[in-house]
Amino acid sequence: MSPEFSDRTKKRIDKIVARYPRKEAAILPVLHLTQQEFGHISDEEEKLVAELLGIKPIEVREVVTFYTMLNQRPVGKYHIQICSNLSCSLLGAESLIDYLKGKLGIELGETTEDKKFTLSTVECLGACEQAPCMMINFDYYGHLDKKKIDEILDNLK
Amino acid sequence: MIKIFIDEKAIEVEESTTILKAAEHAGIDIPHLCYHAAFPPEGTCRMCLVEIEGLPSLELACSTQVKDGMKVSTKSERVIEARKGVLEFLLAEHPPDCPICDKAGECSLQDYYEEYGLFENQFNEFKEKREKKVKIGKNLIHDMERCILCRRCVRFLKEVTKTQELGVFERGIHSEINILDGVLVDNNYSGNLAEICPVGAMTDSDFRFKTRTWFLKKGESICPLCSRGCSIFIEYHEGFSRFTLPKRVYRIRSRENHKVNGFWICDIGRYGYSYIDENRIDKIIVNNKEGGETITWEKAVVFLAEKIKRLYHMKKTSRIALILNTWLSNEELFLINKIFRNDLSVENIYFTDPPEGEEDDLLLTSERSPNKRGAREIGFDLMPIDLETLADKTDLLLIFGSFMFDQFNLAEIKSALDHIETKILFTSHSNGMNSLADIVLPMSLIAEKEGSLTNVDGIVQNFSPALAAQGECQPEWKVLVNLAKELKINFKFYSQFSSSEAIFHEMKKEISFFEKKSE
Amino acid sequence: MEEKLLTQHFGIENLFKVDVYLKHSGYQAVKKALKEMKPSEIMDEVKAANLRGRGGAGFPAGVKWGFVPQDIDKPKYLCVNADEGEPGTFKDRYIMSHNPHLLLEGIIIASFAVGIQKGFVYIRGEYETIALRFEQAISEANKEGFLGKNILGTGFDLDVFVHRGAGSYICGEETALLESLEGKRGNPRLKPPFPASVGLFGCPTVINNVETLSNVPQIILNGAKWFCQKGLPKDGGTRIFGVSGMVKNPGIYELPMGTSLKDIIFKHAGGMKDGKKLKAVIPGGMSAPILTADEINIKMDFDSLMDAKSMLGSAAIIVIDEDTSILDVLKVITKFYSHESCGQCTPCRVGNSWINKIVKRIAGGKGNKEDIDNIIRLASNMMGKTLCPLGDAAAMPILSITQKFRKEIESYIGN
Repeated sequence: MSPEFSDRTKKRIDKIVARYPRKEAAILPVLHLTQQEFGHISDEEEKLVAELLGIKPIEVREVVTFYTMLNQRPVGKYHIQICSNLSCSLLGAESLIDYLKGKLGIELGETTEDKKFTLSTVECLGACEQAPCMMINFDYYGHLDKKKIDEILDNLK
Repeated sequence: MIKIFIDEKAIEVEESTTILKAAEHAGIDIPHLCYHAAFPPEGTCRMCLVEIEGLPSLELACSTQVKDGMKVSTKSERVIEARKGVLEFLLAEHPPDCPICDKAGECSLQDYYEEYGLFENQFNEFKEKREKKVKIGKNLIHDMERCILCRRCVRFLKEVTKTQELGVFERGIHSEINILDGVLVDNNYSGNLAEICPVGAMTDSDFRFKTRTWFLKKGESICPLCSRGCSIFIEYHEGFSRFTLPKRVYRIRSRENHKVNGFWICDIGRYGYSYIDENRIDKIIVNNKEGGETITWEKAVVFLAEKIKRLYHMKKTSRIALILNTWLSNEELFLINKIFRNDLSVENIYFTDPPEGEEDDLLLTSERSPNKRGAREIGFDLMPIDLETLADKTDLLLIFGSFMFDQFNLAEIKSALDHIETKILFTSHSNGMNSLADIVLPMSLIAEKEGSLTNVDGIVQNFSPALAAQGECQPEWKVLVNLAKELKINFKFYSQFSSSEAIFHEMKKEISFFEKKSE
Repeated sequence: MEEKLLTQHFGIENLFKVDVYLKHSGYQAVKKALKEMKPSEIMDEVKAANLRGRGGAGFPAGVKWGFVPQDIDKPKYLCVNADEGEPGTFKDRYIMSHNPHLLLEGIIIASFAVGIQKGFVYIRGEYETIALRFEQAISEANKEGFLGKNILGTGFDLDVFVHRGAGSYICGEETALLESLEGKRGNPRLKPPFPASVGLFGCPTVINNVETLSNVPQIILNGAKWFCQKGLPKDGGTRIFGVSGMVKNPGIYELPMGTSLKDIIFKHAGGMKDGKKLKAVIPGGMSAPILTADEINIKMDFDSLMDAKSMLGSAAIIVIDEDTSILDVLKVITKFYSHESCGQCTPCRVGNSWINKIVKRIAGGKGNKEDIDNIIRLASNMMGKTLCPLGDAAAMPILSITQKFRKEIESYIGN
């Protein structure tokens, strides 16, 4: 079964594509919508996007593998992306990363068995004044410590 | 035109040229890896950095345009240090595969390391592990550890064949060039990838582990497999004194020719070279009732001349027929025209060639022989064979080449030829037809003789022997000249033809099409 | 109390909504620029204001605008660089979430000055909520007639769109940004040609940072001379300094160009956290060469820092304490550049990864005595030899740290 965009998403995509003189320029906005709709971008979605933008699937793969936020594999309901860059490291990010690994029982890049959490490290999130910080899906959480992490994760259903 | 200085040498160059190209014209070689003249500059290998007086940092020779009075140094200490730096980076993640790598001997990395490197390895870390034997095309094996990410292959498939089977995935040190999910590189120009790869990342499985490049000699020739007439190099092994090799030719490479094929050749021409060495005959074969016997060339020519003269004096030259092909050179076709149509008034001249194929929108033409245009310009109208007429109306048949086999089966040919008294076969290969002819004369190939061919666009191209002729093989033009001299109808005329050049000289006088063509 | 030009209204609730913004003299600058000034006058004013790029490179904005050929038969584009990937930097996030209309005013005025009819705001993918807020601001501006066709009846048309990135630091480099916007991998381009002549889709393009453009409305309203007075003669205006690391009060601090670094850390940001002692400061985002604790008596402006062999960059100040191992700092830095290298050119692709491997090995207790000299040699082979500035951005901190903290790194290498 090849994937299809919902009508609503198709309309959004049409509007977006119309902004650019070349269809393929819309690939990042379209891939964000694709990931939103299908969870991740497998080769089926690659073909769908390629056809939509009039480019070859290999060009889509080239783009997907370049950008870190585009996932080729499914992630959990909550993708915990914890910053491991300088300001966060200065304020103890490394121990928090270890804490999360232990708490969730997974290594970096892995997903919990119940598919609820995926854990990754990321580079600077642009919220250094709240270091150490993490982004869960697109929500930022700063001034972290073990207690706060526990609270945040407990509140995620 | 402006004047610039490279390594203190003053040179005149076009204003819109780059330092690298200007240096090339002046015979100065600036090391480069990602740059290829077929594509716009890429600027990613960083190997071609040079020093320009007045500028604080080193600049790329491949993409920097010259300015009047510019002073460039390609060998200063800074430049050599920079080259060493780039080499060190490339070699850090490069596997020490030279002993098993086909590219050794013609590898840019090896060459530049020898000239500018020769430093101790300081890389004490673990190299990135990547796949080493990825089949990415019918004749292509990709070694991702050797790849230096110059992306010539990706650019070729994007800009030349427009098929884009290769892409660059991931980023940073994890970047890799690969096909998408097993979709192989599948176009008629894939062999060019192994040629343009500056290292042994993209290798040709046709050449894999067959021999070492330093054993190969290069001869210039023209590909005869279609009517484009691409310039090629035939690379062959001269053999060793202690044992003979099963073949001479190991590969065909493209030869730059901007009037015809640019930088490339197609896979049909590149991989279709087995005919040069396989099933060749190198002795005259005589099939008389007492079994095979051989004779000298002199005797063979005399025999043929006698047969012709008899029919000529009986005014029965209409009983002579010729089957030609358009692998014959301009000179050979010209001679045949002169001897048989002019001097002997022979009318039954047929042509048979390899069957036509599909053309593509790059180089390959539908005509799968090199000189149809030449034959037409000389005045032949390429009449196809009529076996019945041939059988009924012929006493003496001269067959050039064995392309008849593509059209008719052996039984048909045999039954037609059985009606003909004398059959002389001029061929380079041994096959089923040889036993049907009275005398089989061993001919050399385009790769082994001299002459000229006219390509589909009317470009006349000279060629000289790339390989030595084998055994008793002779080029058709020499045999025809000797035959003509033996016929003594126009002895003086044919005596001047001691080289194919001389024949062409005559062609220019008689045929206006060739008059306009310069060498 | 220092005067704030950009952040003065940040405390106002719902400032990001156009009706609130209009109540605080919003869009006055656009009205003045479009109705009372000629494009060339605007350009001259911005040039005279010595507004230097706030993204990192510090190139004078007015001069950049002037490079765009006017007599060309191609559309022109504006790209707003909201990629904010330089570690330690978070100021543009504040501007875009608290006062998006200020940025929009800057966009509109800049586009009018250069003759641009379409602008793209390239915002890093992680700033999704901010992107949505900015799209909302664009929609409001459209409704109010500040964007779209025939703006304020002047015949000037302008459309602005948000284009989200997807996780790549290199896309903050202007030519990589263009490649990404065109739908490709974020591989920087060779220069020349420069974006001003051949940029987005082959057309003349201006690329400016968020903070840079946000300064334009004030320049229009109060003039170039005023702007220079707020900062330095050659470096007009204020700077939003972003302080993070081991300080009591990390955050943004809008201060005049030329403010002392020591004051920023100890007077404004509350000094060291938890009673720690200062070891080193990175003054302008991770790419800026590090300063030791003795070197912080320095004015924070482009030229002073350049003289001290560092750089103002994105004005992101990262404060490092004495209890932090400089080797760990080096590890984080080399991991970052190695991860973010696009991989196109040899020195950056291999150099960053190689140096990171050496540092990790030293941190794992397996260092060799040649390692530091090797790191210096490799970083020097990256410096000035790469296709884009990321090579330098990596080499500079690596070289400054190994040079200034050599003894400490040596202590990690066993005998």
